[in-house]
Amino acid sequence: MSRLRALMRKEFNQIRRDKRMAMSLIIPPTLQLLLFGFALDSTVSHLRLGVIDWSQTPESREMVSTLTESKSFQLGGDYTSVRDLEAAISRGKLDAGIVVPYEFARDLRRGTPLDVQILLNAANANTATIAQGYAEGVILSYNQTLAGEGIRPRVRSVSGASGAPPGHRGVVGTMTAFLYNPGLVNAWFIVTGTFGVLLILNGSLLAATAMVKERERGTVEQLLMTPASTTDIVIAKIAPLFVLLMVMATLAIGVMRLFFAVPVRGSLVLLALSAGLCILSGIGIGTVVATFTKSAQQAMMTAFFINPPLSVLSGSLTPVEAMPSWLQPITWLNPIRHFGIIARATLMKGSGIEVLWPNFLALVGFTVVLVSLSIWRFRKQLG
Amino acid sequence: MRRIFSQARKDLTQLVRDRLALALALLLPLILLFLLSTAISLTVHNLPLVIQDLDDSSASRRFADVFRSSISFHVVSWPPDRKPEDALTANRARGVVIVPKNFGHDLARGANVQVQLLVDATDSNTARIVQGYVNQITRAFNQNSGAMADATLVGAQVRLWYNPGRDSPKFYSPGIFVMGISMFPALLAALAMAKEGEQKTILQVYVSSISAHEYLLGKILAYMVVAACEWVLGMTTLLTVFGLHIAGDPTPFIVGSVLYAFCVVSFGTFVGAGIPNQAAAIQAVALGGFLLVFLLSGLIFPVENIPAGLRWVSNIVWGRYYIEIVRDALLQGGGWPAMWFPVLMIAVLGALFYTLAWRVMRRMQVKA
Repeated sequence: MSRLRALMRKEFNQIRRDKRMAMSLIIPPTLQLLLFGFALDSTVSHLRLGVIDWSQTPESREMVSTLTESKSFQLGGDYTSVRDLEAAISRGKLDAGIVVPYEFARDLRRGTPLDVQILLNAANANTATIAQGYAEGVILSYNQTLAGEGIRPRVRSVSGASGAPPGHRGVVGTMTAFLYNPGLVNAWFIVTGTFGVLLILNGSLLAATAMVKERERGTVEQLLMTPASTTDIVIAKIAPLFVLLMVMATLAIGVMRLFFAVPVRGSLVLLALSAGLCILSGIGIGTVVATFTKSAQQAMMTAFFINPPLSVLSGSLTPVEAMPSWLQPITWLNPIRHFGIIARATLMKGSGIEVLWPNFLALVGFTVVLVSLSIWRFRKQLG
Repeated sequence: MRRIFSQARKDLTQLVRDRLALALALLLPLILLFLLSTAISLTVHNLPLVIQDLDDSSASRRFADVFRSSISFHVVSWPPDRKPEDALTANRARGVVIVPKNFGHDLARGANVQVQLLVDATDSNTARIVQGYVNQITRAFNQNSGAMADATLVGAQVRLWYNPGRDSPKFYSPGIFVMGISMFPALLAALAMAKEGEQKTILQVYVSSISAHEYLLGKILAYMVVAACEWVLGMTTLLTVFGLHIAGDPTPFIVGSVLYAFCVVSFGTFVGAGIPNQAAAIQAVALGGFLLVFLLSGLIFPVENIPAGLRWVSNIVWGRYYIEIVRDALLQGGGWPAMWFPVLMIAVLGALFYTLAWRVMRRMQVKA
């Protein structure tokens, strides 16, 4: 035990003297959380809408203004021909266009059903999906306003007349309640996801550099000549890193609370325990990488191969449900995925261990496997 | 001229001998292109949904069946005696549709019925999409039951242009392609430059007859060749695997690509000259090439949503302009009238990085 304590003191002293390392654990994570939280926003709003109004009547103008009055669209200009509108969309001056037909007001007064055409630049699939929902919703509520004013279709369409009796059937509407994040703050999703990525990536990077350093300087042999066992050496190396990274995790939670007002509805103890497991897995990954590389520079280059898949296939920045179905099961092999679920559920939903135990168990499993793998690799390398 | 070429040849020879660096240059961009383009998307589909039917009439079952048959959702079963919110806290569903009692009765009477939708909004974007899907499906139900003929006078006919299938990889893969080109040639150039500083071989360059311009241009040329190889590999993947094709006039794309290769390699050379330490240079390029291009260029998340205090930064992020050019060339086909400005900006930024690199070189030479 005293050997272990002595080794740990050595590691702590080394870290204390390394100011750059301490800084690298404070500044980049804070910056990343802030940058990601503020900059990664997928909200669709203020789409520039080009208008072709062939009707040029008060009715048509009112219809167009119901669209532009919403937060989702803003008026991007009036056009007279479809070709001009098309050119403007293709040049990126407009995101959407609406074409109101010539007979708009006349048909409205007669009660003849009619269509307006809405053009959306669908290059960005997400924007198009959400904008389509918005536009259809606005037109639907416009219809309801018309119905409220007593303007209803008089000519029944064939399909409608066939099934239903001439009286009227009730219409089903939906009332939506957004739970856990009623303001639909996108940053909450992003920062809680980034949290896990930070733990794993920083853990692995830090561990890799710490392990490689000893080898680069050739001091591993000196350590081996001491009576300490390899397990002692590895534990003494891991423990201080773990403490440092836990401090970083606390800092990250502080940043999330302070700058983004992320709620804490569940148990912080569960979150801290999972963060600890996540950090240990990260350290495990870093140690394994370090045993395969010869220099700090090589370890960093190898990290380029490991980090992007780990962070992308985690559902931390983009939803897993949006990935192709063959790829989705693979994400369960990623500790960041499990941690992300735990972090979001404890912070925002207030769920406890009774529903999160599978994810927690998975984290325990990853930690055990990765840490024992790293000890085995380390020992083998020394042997 | 001859000196520039021999300098370039020397750098390429060094690169070919370093296996890890070569893999980093040619293999990794391709892997990333495949992986990220298939994985990154925000348009969710096949989401788990719970339908709690408190009515249990034939009408309510017909309503539930419309959801069952949609590709946007898969309906998961949930015991009727448990609170529906628990399905959300337990991560079993993304949304719950609660059909009220007397649903069928009220509909038959001609009364309007409100159905309650609970959405897990921890992911706000997905929540919005869930809401949109549920509304669309409800509308389809109304149309089928003949109720809509009473209510809709004005219909919306939505046309989706450029990407009618709303295929996410078509939008993201050009961006990932740009990210690869922004990062790896710059990284290798920075590493090569920092190595010369670290191992002091730069002193040999100073005493040789090669001028600073020739030396820099030679280095830049070498890594532009690397960028060109990556470009060809990446474009082949985009055109074959992701089914994109060149739309419209390709000349702005070609001119822009050459200028962009010059721009990113100059950036890498500048960083490498400024930071003669390989590990630190890697971090600096990763920050510039990855973080800035990934975050502030509109790769996944629109630039317009970045808060104004931060948005101005994206005006000097070189990747942003190239993403516009590539997307235009592959999706929209706006040609020169739309793309002259991004091409110009890339040229300006490239010239800026080159000048900076040259000044750093000269200052070091004076010091040495």
